[in-house]
Amino acid sequence: MSVAQVDADLDPLEPTLQPILEQTSLRWIFVGGKGGVGKTTTSCSLAIQLSKVRESVLLISTDPAHNLSDAFNQKFGKEARKVDGFDNLSAMEIDPSGSIQELLESADGAGAAGNPLGGVMQDIAFSIPGVDEAMSFAEVLKQVKSLSYSVIIFDTAPTGHTLRFLQFPTVLEKALGKISQLSGRFGPMLNGILGAQGAPQMEEMMQKMESMREVIGEVSKQFKDAELTTFVCVCIAEFLSLYETERMIQELNSYHIDTHSIVVNQLLFPTQGSTCDYCNARRKMQKKYLEQIEELYEDFNVVKIPMLTEEVRGGEKLRNFSEMLVKPFEPPAEN
Amino acid sequence: MVSLLLVVVILTIVTNLISTVGAPAINNLLWNLYTRLIPSPVMPKAKALRSEVLQLRKELAGTSSQDEFAKWAKIRRTLDKKVVELEAVNATLQTSRASFESRAGMFRWVITVGIRMFLQFWFSRHPMFWLPQGWVPSVIEWGLCFPRAPMGSVSINVWSFAVGQVVALVLAAGAWAWQIVGEVRGKMAPMKAQGGKKEL
Repeated sequence: MSVAQVDADLDPLEPTLQPILEQTSLRWIFVGGKGGVGKTTTSCSLAIQLSKVRESVLLISTDPAHNLSDAFNQKFGKEARKVDGFDNLSAMEIDPSGSIQELLESADGAGAAGNPLGGVMQDIAFSIPGVDEAMSFAEVLKQVKSLSYSVIIFDTAPTGHTLRFLQFPTVLEKALGKISQLSGRFGPMLNGILGAQGAPQMEEMMQKMESMREVIGEVSKQFKDAELTTFVCVCIAEFLSLYETERMIQELNSYHIDTHSIVVNQLLFPTQGSTCDYCNARRKMQKKYLEQIEELYEDFNVVKIPMLTEEVRGGEKLRNFSEMLVKPFEPPAEN
Repeated sequence: MVSLLLVVVILTIVTNLISTVGAPAINNLLWNLYTRLIPSPVMPKAKALRSEVLQLRKELAGTSSQDEFAKWAKIRRTLDKKVVELEAVNATLQTSRASFESRAGMFRWVITVGIRMFLQFWFSRHPMFWLPQGWVPSVIEWGLCFPRAPMGSVSINVWSFAVGQVVALVLAAGAWAWQIVGEVRGKMAPMKAQGGKKEL
């Protein structure tokens, strides 16, 4: 540890995502940041780079406003599908709130027919804060586990609290335990009221809940392991974005999720002798925040990506763009 | 037996005073005394942390988040860390205080209700003092020695009851007099002020 510290003091960490590519133990990579800073482009590029060094890569978007289809110019759905032009890169789009809705509806369909009390326990269970996110993640991971990908990249929703549930796995576990205990106590009584047809439903629901609890516990354990999981923060060199990033990093620290990379996107590099006042002023501001970033996050890999003059859409453009994640961009000479 | 008479009186006064002053105030006083005598090891730490947090808050307010983001964020990080630490220390202080308060409550109960109950039980057969014969009808004599003191005497239970009533009355009268004095003074003050103006 001390050796690494000395090294970090001697020269700054390399400004690329190369360390992530080289860390072959990684299984889960999250890409997050405020809306509109280039999360999707970054996650697609990272997926493309990873597909070069790993056996198989899956890119999952949990953003309800799905952008993967736009980025690759190809329609993706709930099932993993190969990305055109890549042999070992697949992508899928899931709606975290959709999966829980479906689960509820299927349970309702089964429960509401016979008895009115069947849904009560369910309502209680789903009123636990954060349980919906945890459930949807559990659902996703269950799906993903059955498929064998060597690394999975999540393009998270900009609402930011995607990983909120990791903060209170203990609360969640306790609440679920209480509910199963409650239903264990009152279950026989309810069954007496409901008759024979209510009993199997109750049991089935309890089993579902129990398995969910196990999955959530497993997920939070995996996500907290720095060997398995890392978080890539994407931001732009502006105050609000930086502020959000700092908050996110602190939050991730409190959940014990590893994060050591920041991608600073949309940087302006006006060429020498440029007369664009707007660009020069903006460059000055971005420079200020870049300096602050370097001072504050000296133990992070800070990747600087320039603002492009075109939209990054389609496999080929993304492939070119992704090179900047591994080869530091050389800014043109300045005034 | 004079001493027992006095003991009951003193005990009653103390009990009444304690209930007038109030349990929280007494707990507070005892707690202050206790911490003065046996300083808790976390106390100075909590104090230091509190001043540190205040200092950091001031520093944070004095730093522009837009112009010196790195400095601001670093202060913010240390502040957050210190606040968490302070909360933990405060929590331990709170629990030690709560346990102290429950012990103090027990102690209070023993020196008031406990001792009274013990005395009433232990000296229930002792006459507090004898009444001259024939002063009161025998029915009342029987009442005065209730429940177990010999006939013709006053029992400790009756004596405690009587003392309790008198002390409560005196305290109420005192409180009433205090209130009247306060009101009169309140009325006097503006009058004085007016008088002063007139003179000017």
